[in-house]
Amino acid sequence: MTEKTRRYLLIAIAVVFFVVLLLLVLSRKKTEHPEPEILNKTTENGAVTEFIKVRLFYFNEASGLLQPEYREIRVPDIREDLYKNFIDLLLASANGQIIPVPDGVQLRSVYYLPSKEMLVLDFNDTLINVFPGGTTAELEFIYFIVDNICYNFKEIKKVKLLSGGNENRTLAGHIDLEKPFFPDFSWLKNE
Amino acid sequence: MKKSTVFIASLFLFQILPALSIDFRSSDHEGFTRIVLEADQTFAFSVRNRPGQLQVLLPRHAAFKNQTPSLQNSRLLERITHELKEENGVLTIYFKGDASVQKNFVLEKPFRVVFDLVKSDSAAVTPPRSTESSDKPQDPGPIANTPAASSAKPIETICIDPGHGGEDLGAVGRSKLHEKDVTLKISLKLKKLIESRTGLRVLMTRDKDSEVSLNSRASIANNQQAQMFVSIHVNSSFRKSAFGSETYFVSLKATDPEALELAQKENQNPEDPGEAIKNDELKMILWNMAQTEFIRESSTLAEYVQNELNDLLGTRNRGVKQAPFRVLMRTAMPAILVETAFISNSAEEKKLQNEAFLDKIAFAIFNGISKFIYYYNTNIK
Repeated sequence: MTEKTRRYLLIAIAVVFFVVLLLLVLSRKKTEHPEPEILNKTTENGAVTEFIKVRLFYFNEASGLLQPEYREIRVPDIREDLYKNFIDLLLASANGQIIPVPDGVQLRSVYYLPSKEMLVLDFNDTLINVFPGGTTAELEFIYFIVDNICYNFKEIKKVKLLSGGNENRTLAGHIDLEKPFFPDFSWLKNE
Repeated sequence: MKKSTVFIASLFLFQILPALSIDFRSSDHEGFTRIVLEADQTFAFSVRNRPGQLQVLLPRHAAFKNQTPSLQNSRLLERITHELKEENGVLTIYFKGDASVQKNFVLEKPFRVVFDLVKSDSAAVTPPRSTESSDKPQDPGPIANTPAASSAKPIETICIDPGHGGEDLGAVGRSKLHEKDVTLKISLKLKKLIESRTGLRVLMTRDKDSEVSLNSRASIANNQQAQMFVSIHVNSSFRKSAFGSETYFVSLKATDPEALELAQKENQNPEDPGEAIKNDELKMILWNMAQTEFIRESSTLAEYVQNELNDLLGTRNRGVKQAPFRVLMRTAMPAILVETAFISNSAEEKKLQNEAFLDKIAFAIFNGISKFIYYYNTNIK
């Protein structure tokens, strides 16, 4: 092998290495979600209140994927209150979009377990009592909740769903509810 | 070979069964004798190897072109009979002396079932090049994974699980159609198809409007040693426009890695299970692991069934998907859950009230199952 050939070979290897590295970095960036933007607002009495800009995802009739919308939410002193306010906001406002949650379902309480990076959500009994059935409906409900939370709060890696303070086997006879759910961002548009 | 073996090929025609005309041929080659059953259409068949004879179970409506197939001084074949027994036509081929089937495979265009026979003491002899157009077995389908369990035996028992039942109505359509009634109808049609066309044993987790827990459904299949579990459901969505069919197999994606690790540790030391083994959660994880062994077969089965649903129903193909289904997690066999159509969609709810549409669904699932059985049985190690 001549010196010239060796040089070309080294350049080719370096180019390939650089391209692979670039692709790895880009693919990693794509799966990372931006942190919620922190906004400071001054109220009438002069106090500064912290807000964050969150992204809420909803279904619509045209697509089986969750579509994003932006909202602002006040950051309270207690972390669990932030999660509860987030879920309440998620269930309350959809601008005509579809909220895959039966009427009358409300969040009773929220528990954050930092050591497990897990959020436990306890809904009222209505969730189990009136859930309409169907595998797709169950998955729509589960990933609507889990993906919205895990997308906006990186410290939460999994979500456990309770109803009436109890563990339930399934919502309506299909998906196993006894274990926590990890997010599946393939339900989100452009993810 | 002492064990009975069962091979099933798929059926593609529905409702009206045209006469099935089979051409029987046999020819001697160096080291083996070849039998060919040729037809202008695909047909279902089962094979039973018995000492001194080979039995091929054929559809009842099958007839031979040459009324009594002759053997023309065959080296290994003595005589042949064709008679009707129960639901099947039975072709029995009697051997001269001690012969056995060395190979059995299917070819297409035209559809042919081929058996290569050898004298039992020459089973290791490699046959010369085939005189058929191709000597390779037919490609079984999209995923080529071999059955996981080394102790696997040919499929003889299938468990059909009609979703919901009793007070559990399942999803309810706008016109008050109940999922539990539709799933039972489809399941009974499917049972009839499997039994009448293959002779395989079919278990039902329920055969009337009764409530059966998810755990009991899996237990029925496990305790009766079913080798395939097919759960029939009707779908529903919060999006009224959602439509189409989809087939699921179990996903363990949601499994907590820490819990899995714990379960694996317990598995390594079964004599000292400690407190954790008493825990229901751990038992559930162990069941998940049982299904893990069959996940490849479940995936293949799901693909076969979904492909047939796409071809026959003409509804939207929502594809093969994975999810942590409670009933599937507890089964220790290839297991799928078929969501046939959306009861929450007005147009599909109307279709689900039509018997002919339910017949089509049952037949599509039957075709998929038949293809899987053929793939599974021919890949057993």
